[in-house]
This record gives sequence, structure tokens and C-alpha cells, in this order.
Amino acid sequence: MRRIALYSILSLLFILLQTTVVKFLSLGRIVPDILLIWVVYVAIRQGQAAGTAAGFLTGLVVDLLSGSDGMLGLAALSKTVAGFIAGFFYDENKMFQTLGGYQILIAVGVASVLQNVIYFVIFLQGSEIGWWGAILLYGLPTSFYTVVVTLLPMFAYARKYLT
Amino acid sequence: MRRLYDILSLFRNYFLFAFLIVVSVSLLALNDNVQIRAVRALTIASIGSLQETFGFIPNYFNLRRENSILREQNVALSDEVSRLREARLENSQLRRLLGLHEQARYNYVSANIVGKNLQLLRNTITLDVGEKDGLKVDMPIVSDAGLVGKVVGTSRGYAIGQILLNKDFRASVKVQRPRVDAILAWEGGERLILKNVVKTFDVHAGDLVITSEYSSLFPEGIRVGVVSKTESSSSSLFLAVEVTPGVDFARLEQVFVITHVPDTSRTAVELALTK
Repeated sequence: MRRIALYSILSLLFILLQTTVVKFLSLGRIVPDILLIWVVYVAIRQGQAAGTAAGFLTGLVVDLLSGSDGMLGLAALSKTVAGFIAGFFYDENKMFQTLGGYQILIAVGVASVLQNVIYFVIFLQGSEIGWWGAILLYGLPTSFYTVVVTLLPMFAYARKYLT
Repeated sequence: MRRLYDILSLFRNYFLFAFLIVVSVSLLALNDNVQIRAVRALTIASIGSLQETFGFIPNYFNLRRENSILREQNVALSDEVSRLREARLENSQLRRLLGLHEQARYNYVSANIVGKNLQLLRNTITLDVGEKDGLKVDMPIVSDAGLVGKVVGTSRGYAIGQILLNKDFRASVKVQRPRVDAILAWEGGERLILKNVVKTFDVHAGDLVITSEYSSLFPEGIRVGVVSKTESSSSSLFLAVEVTPGVDFARLEQVFVITHVPDTSRTAVELALTK
């Protein structure tokens, strides 16, 4: 119970960081998705079910904060998939190696690309913006930038637990 | 029974995944019912108050730059105010001569941006004003540089604004010099586009784009941006017109909400006639 409370508070903190501080790291319209890094971290640390639930809940709050754009549930859906996919990288015996090694970069990269593809394909239905172009212009750069930002916690983890 | 429990336990991750996918898809289908609106208002209110506590960060970093910009603007605006006073006097005399009505004035509610969601084309902002300040959905949001967007969600103390760079945003606008009407939209990138501009219309780069009197949402005459490029292709009847927005959305920190609600009698007449 205490662990769930702690993870909920940290999730809330990451949502606040994503909507307030992360904009300073923006390159044009590309911002790193630190919520996704958090979801992947939860999945690797606590397992697939926890990652899936974390993805759903953080995505739902993002949806609720986006006003009535008719897309409530979309970020929840895409982040649920991301959390579930990241859960395949969970290995209780190699948790620290995964978090402090290149595996977390692969987990974030794969989860992010899948999340963005699902998101854009649904989000841009009926719009004149082509989803393929949006994925190339925003989705893939966002995934790449998110992977680059993941290097920071990865090195911090490696330094703390693997040296 | 035991066997069933074992199967459920073995595939619990997949069941949870399937369940959450069904919930997400159901939410997408349900979307704007009363309960969801209430939950949305509650979330905006609680996260908005927390976002406000982080508000000092942009101010701290930008204060110096902002001060010098404000000083320059102050000088330019003082000059403009004196010229506008003259123009206003002249305008009211001419209106009196022609028997035209004075244009309606609007009230502005100043607001700080306490959160931005610029991720994955969602492009919304959180404002620290809400229903208690008289805000309602669809009210226009402006800044000193021009049109910012419109209010799309409110709670008692906070509001969510949809900016121009949003796939769902549309506005009726006018290219000021040639008096050409068009529909403003966004199709990705940093520029806006004008739709329905026929090739024969005299629209050039550098022309100012303002909101049109035909808009039922926005008061007329609000600066939107400047035409940056026009392109004519043999396969289309229309010009491809790109507009650079006047507002720098990445640096936007303070805005004003115009407490203007659409004239319902006008929309009712328009709807009745088009039926």
C-alpha cells in the first residue's frame, strides 16, 4: 500500500514536471516524454502489470488535462500499450543491469515509437494532417529525444548500482 | 475452480492489459458526458493549483530578457498611443458623420500560463483563471502579439486553452489589405494556413491577417499573423497561403481572455436561414 502511494505521488510529480519544466527542454515542437520514461521505469522495476497500470493512469491524467478535445482516453490507451510493452523487459534478477544499461534505452525507444504510432493514427483521424507525416515529423523525433534524455537516469543508475 | 484461478493468475498481465484497453476505448467513445466533464473539471482544478506552484521557474529565467523587451515595447507603445488617440478622434467624428454605430468593447481577464501541454500535437495551455473570473468555454484568448486560441475547458479556478497550432482549431479570418476572407487552420509545423483563397485574389507575403467580422467566436480585428508565403499550383483553384502567427507560443507566459460570448440571436438567425 505504501509503495502504491509512493508511486502515485511520484507519478503526479512527473506529470507536473512534464507540463511545467520540460517545456524548457523543447527543441522546436519536440519535447521529451518524461512520463513515458517513468512508465518504463515502473514496468522494469515492478513488472508488467504495474507498468501497464502506471501507463493507463498517467495517460488518463494527461487526457483530462487536455480539455474537451474529444480525445479522452487516447493518451491512456497509448501509454497503456507502452507500459505493457516495457513490461517485457522486466527481469527480477537483472533489474539493475536493465535500468543501468542499454536495455532501458531499447525499452524506452520501442515503447515510445509504438505509443506515438498508436497516438497519431487515432488522433489525426478525419484531420488533414497526414499521420505518416506527423509520425516522421513529431513522433520519431520525440522518441529519439526521449531516448537521449533517458541516458541521464541510465548513467545515474549505472553509477550508483553497477560500479 | 482451482484450474481457472491458475489460468487467470498465469495470464493476469494480459487480462489487466485487455481490461485497461477496453476502458480507454470506452472513454474515447463516451467522451463528453456530464460525469466526464465533472472529472475533467476536478482534475484541471487540482493539477492546476499544483502547476501554479511551479510557475516561478519561467519567470526567474526570463525576467531579465522580459524587462528589456518591455522597455522597448513601452517606448513604441507610447508613440502608438498618441497616434491612435488622434485616429480615434478622427474615426469617431467620421462615424458620427456617416451615422455608424460604435463597435462593442470587450472586457479582458488577465491570466498566467501555469502549464503547457505541447506534446504530440495536443497543444493546450493551462490558465490560472476560471469560472469564478467569468470564463466560459469558447472565449477567445489573446496576447499583446495577437490571437492565442480559445478556452476549451474550465474549472472554478483554472481553464484549459486550445492554441492556434491545434488540428481542431479553425477561425474565420480576413487578409487586411485586400479584404479577402478565409478560414484559418493548422496542418502541422510552425505555420498556419489559409483555406478558400481563390487564385485571382491579390494576397501577398507581408499582408496582415486579422479575425473577420464573420467569425461567431472571435471579435473582429484581432491580429492573427502575417502572410509569409503564397503558392499557386496548376492543379488547384486555390492559393496555398502560409501565415506566420504573431504569437511566439514557446515563450508565451501571460495572456488575456476576452469575456466575449457569441451573439446567440445572430447564430440562431443564421442557423434558421441555412436550414
